[in-house]
Amino acid sequence: MAETRPTLREHEAELVVASVTAVAEGVRELRLADQSGAGLPPWTPGAHVDLVLGGLVRQYSLCGDPTDASSYTVAVLREQESRGGSAFVHDQLAEGSRVTVRGPRNHFPLVSARSYRFIAGGIGITPLLPMIAEAEASGAEWHLTYGGRTRGSMAYTDLLAGYGERVTFAPADEVGLLDLDAILGCPGSDTLVYCCGPEPLLAAVEALCERAWPPGALHLERFAAKAAEAPATGERAFELVLAGSGVTLQVPPDKSVFDVIQDAGISVLGSCHEGICGTCEQAVLEGEVDHRDSVLNESEQAANDAMMVCVSRCLSDRLVLDL
Amino acid sequence: MSSTRPPGAAGAVPTDCWYALAASAEVDRRLLAVRALGGPVLLFRTQAGRVVALEDRCAHRAYPLSAGALDGDTVRCGLCGFVYDSDGRCVSVPTQSRVPFGAHVAAYPTLEGDGLVWVWLGEPGRARLHRVPELPWLTEPGWATVGGTVGIEAGFLLLHENFADVTQVPFVAPEIAPAALADAPPPLEVILTETTVELGRAFPASPLPDWQAQMLGVAEAQGATVQRAFFHSPAVWTDHWDVEHDAGTARMRFTQLVTPVDGRRSRLHWRVSRDFAIDDPTAGERMHSMFGDYYERVRAAMETAQAVLDLDGPGPEVNVAADVAALRVREIVHGMLADEGQPFTRDPNRP
Repeated sequence: MAETRPTLREHEAELVVASVTAVAEGVRELRLADQSGAGLPPWTPGAHVDLVLGGLVRQYSLCGDPTDASSYTVAVLREQESRGGSAFVHDQLAEGSRVTVRGPRNHFPLVSARSYRFIAGGIGITPLLPMIAEAEASGAEWHLTYGGRTRGSMAYTDLLAGYGERVTFAPADEVGLLDLDAILGCPGSDTLVYCCGPEPLLAAVEALCERAWPPGALHLERFAAKAAEAPATGERAFELVLAGSGVTLQVPPDKSVFDVIQDAGISVLGSCHEGICGTCEQAVLEGEVDHRDSVLNESEQAANDAMMVCVSRCLSDRLVLDL
Repeated sequence: MSSTRPPGAAGAVPTDCWYALAASAEVDRRLLAVRALGGPVLLFRTQAGRVVALEDRCAHRAYPLSAGALDGDTVRCGLCGFVYDSDGRCVSVPTQSRVPFGAHVAAYPTLEGDGLVWVWLGEPGRARLHRVPELPWLTEPGWATVGGTVGIEAGFLLLHENFADVTQVPFVAPEIAPAALADAPPPLEVILTETTVELGRAFPASPLPDWQAQMLGVAEAQGATVQRAFFHSPAVWTDHWDVEHDAGTARMRFTQLVTPVDGRRSRLHWRVSRDFAIDDPTAGERMHSMFGDYYERVRAAMETAQAVLDLDGPGPEVNVAADVAALRVREIVHGMLADEGQPFTRDPNRP
């Protein structure tokens, strides 16, 4: 029999910007429409897509209607210190522009629960919008605390105001920083915490939940990579075994596991190469993983059964992947 | 959240999914009983033509409503005479003038499209956040479809993994596979999203199988086949086979509608649609018997696999590179179960 090694890729479509709407100061909502008639793949709340923007690839949460097969909606904040992605969206994209969209994928799924506490900081509201719609449809109890610099900088406040008392708006220039002790002070039973926003907010929520909430109650998503430092002693080399492919490779200190796999001609998915998008996750059969990603939470990292091969490495001499 | 699953629902079957429980033509003014997701479901059509799906068990005592009678748009239990409306509310009982407060059976959201009746057995409020795949070839002009229903004593995930492993076809049914499939399978392209898996491959030109050459009226023709298979949801696999031959393109669509009856039993509604020889009844008969045989063989193979699992439990499995699609399907289903908060183990083949 001939070799039937499959090539693996994510769904990719060239979509057209059907509308651009200013939804807050510095925030543009893009509706990206399918022109092929083939329809777009379904997704669930918390999912994101890659936008290919010139030479850059950036991840944005889907914040529209999951049953819409003809378009995806994202909202993009112009970052003060843009690494190019948000500036491209704001300066280069207009109605009629074509954008390559990869995905969707989801590393921030809404797990069924009786009750939810949603915490959004600024543009972190985007993945929470469809989650809130689902929580509402499920008849769950929920509350959203939505912080931002100023009221005018906060997107979708009109839409969210429709939920009445279940939403607390907390613009910092009116009420100061979010009172996380009050929001998370008393853990509820069968209650999950979903949080998305800037790193200081995520770090503070993580610290509070670690102290008071059951493990697994907190779900959060990072927009930027958590700082993960290389050891002072420098990176180490290790052996890499791909069990399913029957291949043994060497990972030198200056190359990622991902690059070594690719160079061996084996098809693996990858996207951000920063450990934030979760595309390159692989199952680990053996070896002590040195996790450097921002996707897996502490308990998932401790389970040592999966890793992001773009940034994570190995502390033992041999790493065996189910690939 | 309210408990809306049918009583006795199996634990590890995704409920947040539209399942095709019947063909539109099967649902009429009679009471149709179907089992799905570990529970009994009653289907009927209202006088206005709307499909109704109710829990098929009287709220009073253990008795199927499908053994009762349809009266207008209400159903009367054949044992105790409780009457339910199309929303599942008990509207009268024979022995007292007041209806017991809150007496009802579950009512499930329904959709009709492409000649199928889709039922949502999960949390009712979430139904509107999910869509059903479009399967236009089942009803559009220019297509002819044959089909059947097979009850299979095997878990739904075994079926999906079988459909994902297109390399099994030449072993299960050598005579229907393109000649190219057996000796030199072309490389497979696998395209992933959060909720779907797509497989594609292009076969080089090879002699058409006899049955297809005859139906196309092109004896000894060569054809180059492009296959694209899609896992849409735990309810649907479709398979597109487009054959470019000397006289044009012949298209076939295989639609595999899977219903988990419970954790280890499934129902498969299969459809084979073609856009050639559509007015030729013998072609239809031949396809019906040929693909009926094929799905019968799939049934036998899956039941054998389930029997091994029942007897000896899940064991370690060796995966090869070509399993990537099947493993991804398993991962999607496990993700759905995890999000629904359903207890499950990650044992191979035991969702």
